[in-house]
Amino acid sequence: MNAAKSFSSRLAGWLPRIVVAPSLLVVIVTVYLFILWTGVISFTSSKFVPIYDFVGLEQFVRLWATPRWHTAVANLFIFSALFLLLSTGIGLLMAILLDQNIRSEGFLRAVYLYPMALSFIVTGTAWKWILNPGLGIQKVVNEFGWTDFRFDWITDPKMAIYTVVIAGVWQSSGFAMAIFLAGLRGIDNSVIKAAQIEGASLPLIYRQIIIPMLRPAMLSVIVLLSYIAIKSFDLVLALTNGGPGSATELPSTFMFSATFRRNQMGVGAASAIMMLMTVAAIIIPYLYSELRERNNG
Amino acid sequence: MSKFLASLVAATMLVPAAARAEGTIEVLHHWVSQSEVDALNVIRKDLETKGFQWKDSAVGGMSGANAQQALRSRLTSGDPPGAMQFLGWEGPQWAEQGVVRDLNDLAKAGGWREALPPQLLTFVTSADAFIAAPINMHRQNWVWANKKIFDEAGIAVPKTWADLIAAGKKLKEKGVTPVAMGDEPWQIGIIFDALLSDLNGPEFYKKAAIDLDPAALNSPEMVKVFDTLREVRGLVDDNFVGRDWAVATGMVINGEAAMQFMGDWAKGEFLAKGLKPNTDFYCFATPAKVTSFQYVIDSFGMFTVKDETVQKAQVALAETIMDPKVQKGFNLIKGSIPARTDVSVDDFDDCAKLGFNERAEAIKAGSMLGAMTHGFAAKPEFASVFGDVAAQFFVGNMSSDDAVKMLVEGIDNAR
Repeated sequence: MNAAKSFSSRLAGWLPRIVVAPSLLVVIVTVYLFILWTGVISFTSSKFVPIYDFVGLEQFVRLWATPRWHTAVANLFIFSALFLLLSTGIGLLMAILLDQNIRSEGFLRAVYLYPMALSFIVTGTAWKWILNPGLGIQKVVNEFGWTDFRFDWITDPKMAIYTVVIAGVWQSSGFAMAIFLAGLRGIDNSVIKAAQIEGASLPLIYRQIIIPMLRPAMLSVIVLLSYIAIKSFDLVLALTNGGPGSATELPSTFMFSATFRRNQMGVGAASAIMMLMTVAAIIIPYLYSELRERNNG
Repeated sequence: MSKFLASLVAATMLVPAAARAEGTIEVLHHWVSQSEVDALNVIRKDLETKGFQWKDSAVGGMSGANAQQALRSRLTSGDPPGAMQFLGWEGPQWAEQGVVRDLNDLAKAGGWREALPPQLLTFVTSADAFIAAPINMHRQNWVWANKKIFDEAGIAVPKTWADLIAAGKKLKEKGVTPVAMGDEPWQIGIIFDALLSDLNGPEFYKKAAIDLDPAALNSPEMVKVFDTLREVRGLVDDNFVGRDWAVATGMVINGEAAMQFMGDWAKGEFLAKGLKPNTDFYCFATPAKVTSFQYVIDSFGMFTVKDETVQKAQVALAETIMDPKVQKGFNLIKGSIPARTDVSVDDFDDCAKLGFNERAEAIKAGSMLGAMTHGFAAKPEFASVFGDVAAQFFVGNMSSDDAVKMLVEGIDNAR
């Protein structure tokens, strides 16, 4: 009796671990093992198929001597920074405006959130047409009579990356709005009432009280959006296909074409490792500080 | 209901039963558009008359890169398909890995080497082995032109690039877009490949695009290629970003644009609209003193497999593909010309006939060249550098000298 009881209690203790084990195993193999394998490949001279020799940092040297990679890295920083800043900013603004007890809020919320339901491929293709000077915005404005209006960023190698930002922000700011709105609804009204009694103005209340209280929502938004920014491979593919020329190349598109289309598996692996390092360098300290604070608090 | 069920069961039983008779071969390829599938059916039907079944494994997208991906995983897991469509260096590269079946006995018995243009053998042989059966040959360096626009402007088919550019400028003044194209690197690459040979001769093309000779890469001739490419840019409208090649062909068809530089897969777009070569539209090679024939071929390689019925099916498929009758039937639909040089030209349209003639001349003149942009010259790691530089040059405002410098550095970096 006693033994049986201890067995079932032991089983109860082990059950969660047993249930989680298969998925843990799958994650270890398909994510971490392949990260390790990519790391190994980046130190080899692999071209068309993997070759297991050791050439040191040769592929990394080659990678950093490739102008397309420099374009890709610069683009990633421009795109991620602007995408995060604008999506979060616009999302927060929309959430605050929607939170003012307005009429048909549910309808408006759905309208702003809807782009998130589209895939980046659809967004990219639609914006490709909207931004094309011969089909989209420029043509419409020109036909209304403002004939020297120019909006041809998508054809300009220097400006094309900003069109990717526009399409990305259009898609994702509604999503940021939804999370912020949920955060706003979670704030206790009495705090605001107390501040109002103390004579604080509305902007001051938002700046000093509400937005700081949205910090958990902010963390979710930033983590989720940065991951969208880094994997925005499909958006670029549909919107500009890396063009004009290779002006909107991102590290992800670079990695794909080096590995699978250009016989440069070693260079592709090196670029993947560089991406991993960059992401780790930004995300790990941030997560660390955020999670530690929460544990302390 | 039970009748329906019975017939359903019978139908599903029937196919494997017929297949088991002689053998089934799975063919991995990336042809998914209607004309491509129709053309493949010519092969499939001939194979069926020999008693073998064709199991279709089509993986479309990314110009065959997706199908290559599928192949890699199949090979890694030890389950290769019976046959695979090869483009460019894929065949020889897989052969180096020792996974491709040698078809040399068949090739000798069938006289394949003699029936094919010698320049092609680079891509279907590896050392002594014959590794793939080529079905067709596209030509990359065609110009497709709207005849009505040419006639109204009093323009004749240009004999040199200078003529062509002068004609383009004239058309631009009249308000017609001279050249329809998109900004995809391969579309720009088609023009770049043509200029390499047309301006400087086929020997220069071989030195630069195949041997990667540093002296040829860093030469005044190369600067001239970029200078001319810049002039061509002046003939393209500003809305070319993101334009699909078939959309550009449509612009030539409906008279919005005068010309397009494109391989002969564009011909199908004209023919589908019921237009006739030389009455409604012109097809001519990119102009040069020595006209080049820049070829793109599709071939099918067979993988080493243990299953004997599949091995038999591989032999049957290879023989079917190399059958002149099948090559004719296939290419009449696909818009290309047979890889074999001994197939009669009857029944083909005027553009294809011109292609046949110019191929025969090019083989003699040494101007039969693999098309770099489609992977038939330098290996992909180098060809893509040419593509990058040409595309960046074309869409931006880089100087020709800077482009040459970038090209030389890029090639050295990839070596």
